[in-house]
Amino acid sequence: MTLRLDPDELAACVSCGLCLPHCPTYRATGEEMLSPRGRIAAMRAVDAGAGIDDAFDRMMQTCVQCRACETACPSAVPFGRLMERTRQELAPRSVPAWQRLGYKALGSHRSLVGLTVLGGAAQRAGLVPHALARRLALPKLPMRQARLVPTGVDVWLFTGCVMDAWQRRVHESSIEVLDALRVGVALPGPGAACCGALHVHAGLHDEAVRLAGRTMGAFPGTAPILVDSAGCGAALKDYGHLLGRAGAAAFSARVFDIHEWIASRADQLPPAIDGAPRRRIAIQDPCHLRHVQRADSHVRTVLRPYGELVELADEGRCCGAGGAYSVLQPELAGLIRTQKVAAISAVEADVVASANPGCSMWLGAAGVPIRHPMEIVADAAGLHRRRWRPGRDRKMSRWLASSGKFGSGWKR
Amino acid sequence: MKDALRSFADQIGSEGPVAVAGGKTHWGVGGWPATGTKEVAAPVGVVAHEPAEMIVRVGAGTTLEELRSTVEEGGQFVALEADDPSKATVGGVLAVGLGGYRRLGWGPVRDSVLEMTSVTAGGEVLRSGAPLVKNVTGYDLCRLFVGSLGTLALTGEVVLRCRPIPEAETWWVGEGADPFAVAAGLYRPLSVLWNGIHTWVGLAGYRVDIEDQARTVLGRAFRPAERPPPLPGRLRRSLTPRDLRALPSTAGVDRPWLAQVGVGVVHCGEAAAERIGPVGPPSSGVWDLHRALKERFDPAGRLNPGRSVSGVAAGAGV
Amino acid sequence: MTTAALVRDLGVALAPDRVRAGALELALYERDASMLTGQASVVCFPTSAGEVSAAVRVCRDHGRPFVPRGSGTGLAGGATPLGQVAPVVIVTTKMNKILEVDSEQRFAWVEPGVLNLDLSTAVAHLGLHFAPDPSSQQSCSVGGNVANNSGGPHCLLYGVTSAHVLAMEVVLADGSVVVLGGIDPEPEGLDLRGAFVGSEGTMGIATRIAVRLTPLPPCVATLLADFSTIHDAAAAVTGVIAAGIIPAALEMMDATIVEVVEAYVHAGFPTDAAAVLLVEVDGLRGGVDVCTSDVEAILKAHGAREVRVAADAAERAAWWKGRKSAFGAIARIAPSYYLHDCVIPRTRLVDVLDEVGRIASSRDLVLGNVFHAGDGNLHPLIVFDRRAPGVLEKVHEAGRKIIETCVAAGGSLSGEHGIGIEKREAMDLVFTEVDLEAQKWLRDAFDPEGRCNPEKILPRGGSRCGDISSLPPGAWV
Repeated sequence: MTLRLDPDELAACVSCGLCLPHCPTYRATGEEMLSPRGRIAAMRAVDAGAGIDDAFDRMMQTCVQCRACETACPSAVPFGRLMERTRQELAPRSVPAWQRLGYKALGSHRSLVGLTVLGGAAQRAGLVPHALARRLALPKLPMRQARLVPTGVDVWLFTGCVMDAWQRRVHESSIEVLDALRVGVALPGPGAACCGALHVHAGLHDEAVRLAGRTMGAFPGTAPILVDSAGCGAALKDYGHLLGRAGAAAFSARVFDIHEWIASRADQLPPAIDGAPRRRIAIQDPCHLRHVQRADSHVRTVLRPYGELVELADEGRCCGAGGAYSVLQPELAGLIRTQKVAAISAVEADVVASANPGCSMWLGAAGVPIRHPMEIVADAAGLHRRRWRPGRDRKMSRWLASSGKFGSGWKR
Repeated sequence: MKDALRSFADQIGSEGPVAVAGGKTHWGVGGWPATGTKEVAAPVGVVAHEPAEMIVRVGAGTTLEELRSTVEEGGQFVALEADDPSKATVGGVLAVGLGGYRRLGWGPVRDSVLEMTSVTAGGEVLRSGAPLVKNVTGYDLCRLFVGSLGTLALTGEVVLRCRPIPEAETWWVGEGADPFAVAAGLYRPLSVLWNGIHTWVGLAGYRVDIEDQARTVLGRAFRPAERPPPLPGRLRRSLTPRDLRALPSTAGVDRPWLAQVGVGVVHCGEAAAERIGPVGPPSSGVWDLHRALKERFDPAGRLNPGRSVSGVAAGAGV
Repeated sequence: MTTAALVRDLGVALAPDRVRAGALELALYERDASMLTGQASVVCFPTSAGEVSAAVRVCRDHGRPFVPRGSGTGLAGGATPLGQVAPVVIVTTKMNKILEVDSEQRFAWVEPGVLNLDLSTAVAHLGLHFAPDPSSQQSCSVGGNVANNSGGPHCLLYGVTSAHVLAMEVVLADGSVVVLGGIDPEPEGLDLRGAFVGSEGTMGIATRIAVRLTPLPPCVATLLADFSTIHDAAAAVTGVIAAGIIPAALEMMDATIVEVVEAYVHAGFPTDAAAVLLVEVDGLRGGVDVCTSDVEAILKAHGAREVRVAADAAERAAWWKGRKSAFGAIARIAPSYYLHDCVIPRTRLVDVLDEVGRIASSRDLVLGNVFHAGDGNLHPLIVFDRRAPGVLEKVHEAGRKIIETCVAAGGSLSGEHGIGIEKREAMDLVFTEVDLEAQKWLRDAFDPEGRCNPEKILPRGGSRCGDISSLPPGAWV
């Protein structure tokens, strides 16, 4: 069995090793087996006839697919593509049934919401074993969430799966910020329940293609599609390549990371409310924003009016969340997170901004005071108040209070 | 010069105890050569100074004074120092391997050596390094030979790194200043010397930078000095830069000593040297390596018999 | 004794999960960033000097040679495992702690696996840095820098690694541990520290290294000059040095290189230039200003079309990123490269570059030049696709000619990459048998049984004057 990789793409790696320090698994272990250079060498060996064994499979499954190696690579090796292709070949032997079931659930919003309510009830009843909760890095699952209300037709907001089920408050903030920019937001139907990013990463190509087709159908017209999840945004922008169709490429061209889109209108952002203290905001760059969408600078542009931005000294290294990675490779993910948390602690910020739900859940579970940039903007500019209804007001305040590490300035 | 080297090798031959005599300014360092040791002289004279390559090829028997005056004509200098440059030879300074007052700015003696042509205990001509300012071809025998007191091979000719003569070199002296704070505040000083009371500062480079540093770092506590102070004695001790701070109590201010701040070398006379204490001997593992090297480079022990590289630092002056 | 027993004993000496002998994993350690392949029997990952020593003793008991390895970014095959029996590769990447930073005495004790750039980043807040800055500095380890006596652009002014290592704790081939050098300036005895630096892992494994930390310059100016001929650029290099100026760095890139790096970094390099010089001067404000205008005048007098000074730190960083990623970026032209590392007298730059260009063009090979012009350290890069028929022979032949050309011009084999396996059979082009014998004495004194990184640096023996056709075929790809 071979991986049927493009020999030119494989040959582009000259083994210089400049990728090594940027790879989260190499950083955590110092082992070639867990480095991009090693993984490419192993892919080459398999395509030269070496055969696939458990060691090879482990090398591939331990890749977080953060793609930091691509940014570091002077030879422009398309590592992400090679890895996705390899995972696709490995999927039949490597993705067990229980995992497939999980991926399936992501594609069905109703079952995800149902599971969420069940899980939330179990959490509250103390039925979720501590070890499991830690492994899954689950936040406190919401039992009831307010419906999102569309505000117009200027742009679409992609709502997605886990994020909409667990972090709908981020979408609320996004709508509030766009509202302040006088941009009306349309919401997609249930077809946009999942972008398929995790399926691509897991090598479940057919399922990813199915979800992509369904997602595209949920966004008719030509309005821009804004995404407030870095991982989803990267996936949507790659539909052109995934589906290989002109229509898909045209769809991808309509997709913007929400910060990317707002950054060009940053002068119209509402001012921070009077008297609010300027917070130190550390920026955690989600890998798929920095290395895939290369839109990391826009988050800074959007946040700059609302606080003092602080850069981490680790050059945007991955936090280890990696979609389902933290669940499937908990040991490595934990090592990687430890390094990330150390980098965050070193800068002594009041709050950490992360534009990706996976990163924020994973780091939040380690006690990092982390929030989405849109939430930070909505808070700092006092946008919540405008649309809050009395019934929800209480709940939001409670949530803000419970996340107490943000300091009093954030609690209003 | 090839002839000179050949005849140098012939004089050394392959049998019998032998030593190279230079200016004999440090002849007793590491012990006196055993009686009956034949003394030979290394070739004398600057073979070629190539300013564009920033190198000079010179016979090991050449005095530092002669080297300086030749290289100076090309607007350059070699970072070697000796207290009597009219007598001290290049080969001698390298064999002893100890720098002078300007080590803080210039770095150690060994960093100036690019190539050495020596004669082995077997009487054969041995070249190590290359006449190039950068080179990592093969093992670095030059560093092994610098400071070896001619116990591994006898050097006849060397290629040294030259540097452009700076626009200015000036010296300053002050009293009461904290020499450690001064050294930390200056950018790339040439030298900071301290005797427990006075601090001397040497600055080299662009005039504008020297004036700037003198104004902002040295301030009114310092006044211009003609030259650095004379050596307080012929001995020296090697301390960590931090341990220099304790010298007023360990060596005492009544016994003359002069410390190179930022480096750790203490120049002193016997009285202060005794108070500071002897230099610790190498560990047994390191000593085993010394023996293993000597056995291979000079199995018959004919090169500088009676001399030992242990105790070199303690016995030498500048 | 069997490999299984070796694995078992190493597992006891270290920990079973840090000793590996799987076929796939061994394959990943059969070479470094060169293409020279060997064969490892076991790979192990010690985490302390004690474990390194224990691993070395196990190797001794089993009669196995061992090969130290850091990040594996070496280009001369120094970390490629070779030996009569397949060696044990001892990897130091898990020994990556900065143990002590002494800002007053300006040094740090580090473990060998600490990455070069990580060290500089970690001490930047103290206004200090580790001066050697090879192009691989983001990936290469301090231990690897010690082994190769690494250089880098700024070594022109600051000196190579040897000038920045004060002391080392070393595990010798018999497993014993010694400390070479010292924090004090004149430790007793021979400069074994100096002899060890650059010995390419053949005299032991450094397990703790005290490196000098250098103050960051208060002021830096970076100039980018473009020339319409390589001749003018080379003459300008000589002109700068002849004027008595030693810049912090003085680098040259030719048109081939400028084009590929510009495609990668988008730093605004002039892609229509025949050659670009990157000159950096640093120091105090006043001197830097004087020096910058002097250098600018010299460059212009030698025919620079334009001289730009980096407007800010970001522009300077982009220029350097371009310079330092040239070797990898070259894969955008063709997937294989052979990177040379020769030193020549600076004054011979023009002739040698001409001849090197002719060597490549007469064989229809694409060749780029990116190098440390200030110290005459050439890096001709031959780019090719190894899958093309007959190309290997041409590359092989061109490589040999380049070495011969440099040596004939009074040059030497390596300025910073080391000899490794790549150039050991060329050593007798620059050294006599007596010279090589004396180098062997040094090596043998540290490792009498030849178990520490065997078959490196010194030629395999016998007189082979000028015959470099016996180079391993991998040496040229």
